[in-house]
Amino acid sequence: MRRDGKLPVIWIIILIVLPFIAALIALGIGRMSISPGEVLDVLRTRIAGGHVSSQLIEKTVMQLRLPRIVLAALVGAGLSVSGCAFQSLFANPLATPDTLGVASGASFGAALGILLGFDLVGVQIIGLAMGGLAVTLTWLAGSGKDRGGLSYIVLSGIMIGSLFSALVSLIKYVADEESQLPAITYWLMGGLDKASFRTLSLGAPVIIAGILIFFLIRWRMNLLPLSDDEAKASGTNIKALRTVTVIAATAITASCVSMCGQVGWVGLLIPHMCRMKFGSNHLALIPSSVSLGAVFMIAVDTLARSISAAEIPVSIFTATIGAPFFIMLMRRSGGWRI
Amino acid sequence: MSPLLKVENGSFAYRGGPQILDNINFEVNAGEILAVLGPNGAGKTTLLRCMMDMLRWDSGRSLLDGEDIHSMPARKLWSRMAYVPQAKSAASSYTAFQTVLLGRSSRIGTFSSPSAEDMEKAEAVMRQLGILDLADKQCYAVSGGELQMVLIARAMASEPEILVLDEPESNLDFRNQLVVLDTISILAADGVACVFNTHYPAHALQRAHRSLILNKGGGCISGSTPEIVTEDNIRRAFGVNAVIGEIETAESVLKNVMPLSIAETRQGGPEPGAPSEAAGLTGHEAANADAAGRNDEGCIASVSIIMKDNATADKVNSLLHEYNHLLIGRMGLPHRGRGLYIINITLDGAGSEIGALSHRLSLIPGISVKTTYAGE
Repeated sequence: MRRDGKLPVIWIIILIVLPFIAALIALGIGRMSISPGEVLDVLRTRIAGGHVSSQLIEKTVMQLRLPRIVLAALVGAGLSVSGCAFQSLFANPLATPDTLGVASGASFGAALGILLGFDLVGVQIIGLAMGGLAVTLTWLAGSGKDRGGLSYIVLSGIMIGSLFSALVSLIKYVADEESQLPAITYWLMGGLDKASFRTLSLGAPVIIAGILIFFLIRWRMNLLPLSDDEAKASGTNIKALRTVTVIAATAITASCVSMCGQVGWVGLLIPHMCRMKFGSNHLALIPSSVSLGAVFMIAVDTLARSISAAEIPVSIFTATIGAPFFIMLMRRSGGWRI
Repeated sequence: MSPLLKVENGSFAYRGGPQILDNINFEVNAGEILAVLGPNGAGKTTLLRCMMDMLRWDSGRSLLDGEDIHSMPARKLWSRMAYVPQAKSAASSYTAFQTVLLGRSSRIGTFSSPSAEDMEKAEAVMRQLGILDLADKQCYAVSGGELQMVLIARAMASEPEILVLDEPESNLDFRNQLVVLDTISILAADGVACVFNTHYPAHALQRAHRSLILNKGGGCISGSTPEIVTEDNIRRAFGVNAVIGEIETAESVLKNVMPLSIAETRQGGPEPGAPSEAAGLTGHEAANADAAGRNDEGCIASVSIIMKDNATADKVNSLLHEYNHLLIGRMGLPHRGRGLYIINITLDGAGSEIGALSHRLSLIPGISVKTTYAGE
């Protein structure tokens, strides 16, 4: 590891190239197997113009697989970078993107949308709105003059999160058992099968903007785990830094959940993998979390849609692959700290 | 010339709690060390936090070069002042070098990373403090003494004029206490004003130009160390009977505080409305406890000073210049062959002034100094 905390050049190259390789491979995998050469051919004709050999291949790559892989990459990158931000913000290795109740709020919104019979974009919008509402409630409940600071916010996040979980149960209870209940349940399990360029156009800009913000302030994020006095003594406006972190991480998480349901584990697994490998300096941590989060999610989603004839919810895979892999890493590297 | 840092009439109480700090006044100049003493719970840390505007004074203010700290932009304030927290609160998973680099925050743009210059500065500070070998170690893996030095380096990386340390030598063994205290002395000799909290009156006597003793009731007295750290004041503030003695070594005479017994009662806070001096702590009356019993009217003393380098000799000369009116005889000879500078002076003046001069001489790092008083 370099003394200045930046990534070694070889790793920068690997981290930039890896997501593209993963995407290229994933584009070829599925019920219809397409060779990397054919995939590149389709992409080249799309960019440079020309005639494609097979309409079917072009349609599969461009309209079915590409938006899904882009979504997977964004969701993976977004969830792991916001998990990383929350862990540093609360100086707690167990913090996840859902710590402030965002995911529960967004899930409630989406379930409500399905109950009310909204279309996909409608579900997405109301999910986003409810995610925002949940965090606002958490913030209002937990902050205030002379309060204990961040631990109050974490506590009220747990409260608000469970409140919205209860509301989700309520919606499931009143939902129509034949059509709505399975839809809600399936949606909550998380999956990227709803991906299209239309859903992406709403969620992607938010995720990209959030990641960009974290990328810009990545060195300053090193101040997040410090105590209040130390952070103040750095001459940084620590309140502003924390507020920006919460808003960006929340917006990313709410967008992810509103597009593809609750995908667990990514926000915990990837940042910790990166901490073990690259240390806790956010100069290296943020870029590596973005890259490896995208790669992980592309890989897991490709598995989820191709391993059997019926699609398997992706969060089942993130957990079954993630948990053992994580334990193995933890035992081999001797753990980590924030 | 206004003092570098000055606190005027500072008062503070936590919401709904008793008055912690009541009408605090003190000042520190460049190159001076101020020791803040007081019993547990008297509010030493609160005093530092109010002084740095981490807590807001209820009334009164802190002035940096005459400018109210509260209205200064954070970046400006924290590039001139730096804070070293207690080492226990700060174990992190950054390497020592990255931790020190964080000290440059106030000089790095919000969206920027440390530049090559920042890296050099951080490295230079670590080299200066003798901890460059720790650079690539994780902060949670170094010892308490090493972590304290890393935190001092982090503070010094911002090139501050004022260094504020919260109990820097608590929880450290003998050797590390010396390492930390020597560092503070050397930084002060380089012109940095240092303010530190301590549980040890002896450390104030041996290191600090000025001292401040906080009372349980919120009052305080402050002034030059020999006037403030006296047996009377220790008994009144801490409720402990103590003697201040001198230990003579080959090089110099060190003051030490030996606690003897618990005093009958600890005198509490000031009477309502009474000035803090009325709390029992005495300022000038107890002056010159150092030359206890020696006549304040006038006495004769001879001081011999040996030092090892030119820079120290310059400091001694400018200090002697300040006390020119006491000097009745002076002999200086550089011993070039051994690289030593030797000065002998004879003084005639008030015992308190002679005591103050010999105290200030003893605070200069890398110097051997002894004062001999003439008999009655």
